[in-house]
Amino acid sequence: MKRDKFVVIGCGRFGGQVATERSEEKLDVIVIDEDESSFRKLHDNFGGFKQVGDATQLDILKQGKIEEALNVLIATNRDNVNILIANICDKIFGVPNIYIRLMDTEKEALIESKNIHAIYPYKLSLKSFSEQFNQDDEQDVLS
Amino acid sequence: MKIIVAGGRVEADYVINSFKESNHTITIINPDKDYASYLASRHERPVFAGDPTKIYVLEEAEINNADIFLALSDDDTDNYIMCMTAKTVFGIKKVVAIVRNPNNVKTFKDLGIDRVINATNLLVTHIGNDTALTNLTRTISIDEDEKVVVVEIAINDDFPFIDQEIKDIKLPNRINVSCIFRDPVVIIPHGETKIKKGDKLLIVTSQDGKDDVNKFFEKRL
Repeated sequence: MKRDKFVVIGCGRFGGQVATERSEEKLDVIVIDEDESSFRKLHDNFGGFKQVGDATQLDILKQGKIEEALNVLIATNRDNVNILIANICDKIFGVPNIYIRLMDTEKEALIESKNIHAIYPYKLSLKSFSEQFNQDDEQDVLS
Repeated sequence: MKIIVAGGRVEADYVINSFKESNHTITIINPDKDYASYLASRHERPVFAGDPTKIYVLEEAEINNADIFLALSDDDTDNYIMCMTAKTVFGIKKVVAIVRNPNNVKTFKDLGIDRVINATNLLVTHIGNDTALTNLTRTISIDEDEKVVVVEIAINDDFPFIDQEIKDIKLPNRINVSCIFRDPVVIIPHGETKIKKGDKLLIVTSQDGKDDVNKFFEKRL
């Protein structure tokens, strides 16, 4: 089976935006969320497929074409759920590229696979803060 | 053995009680502060109040040298996470999870949890075993009083005696396989006849003998 789909699990602000952008790039996008009302976060340009359901369940993932996925982004609002889904996508469905958002950096140990790439808002905030703080520092010195 | 009981309410209470008489060392971890202190008051065992899906909580409870980790919370995902943390981070050999959703039994096993227990799943297996036996053996009476009966046993894939000789399966006393129907032929067997998949064994016996035959196969399936 050809793997060319982009699957987004968890249609929050982040998931919804990524899904919209990939759809604008003409990729075949499927968004899965438990709550139908969360699909309102998708932009009008979104031309993909919406799947309502619990993505920890294999039949829901299959309906969301996980078996044809080249990429999956997992960004529900619970770390534990994200980790479970990431391991299902990796070990059961063999999705080649899995991106997962995690709040708790300690949980890194549970997603040890070369196919799983973690995104940590905590690390990004820290980095952004120190960059801006150092920049302000330099400006203070200059003035 | 050192056993960790993580999460759960009445389930945790019951499990701890059941292990009390034995020599097991039990450590309790519960995310609900009030329930944790209730468990502490009822059982003289170390109790840690905290979320067992967090690594630092498991660290604080010193779970590293435990033999068995039991995840009893009412959230299937959380049970998966604590079991996998216990296994991968703390190297615990046997991790057991209970789950509400029967579909998660196979998924969680495939992902590496040693035992996954679900009530509905157990129920189906239980009933399945009962019906498997009734499907397998069929009794035909020869006379009206049912003094002479023929028990028919269908040998399917998971039958334990496939490719064994009849003399090796050690049937109960006075029970002999009278006839094997191996489509399209009928075989009158002797001790060295091997049982093949798809065979139908016919045993001619009495009412008492029928019960012996059923008991014999019930035990082995």
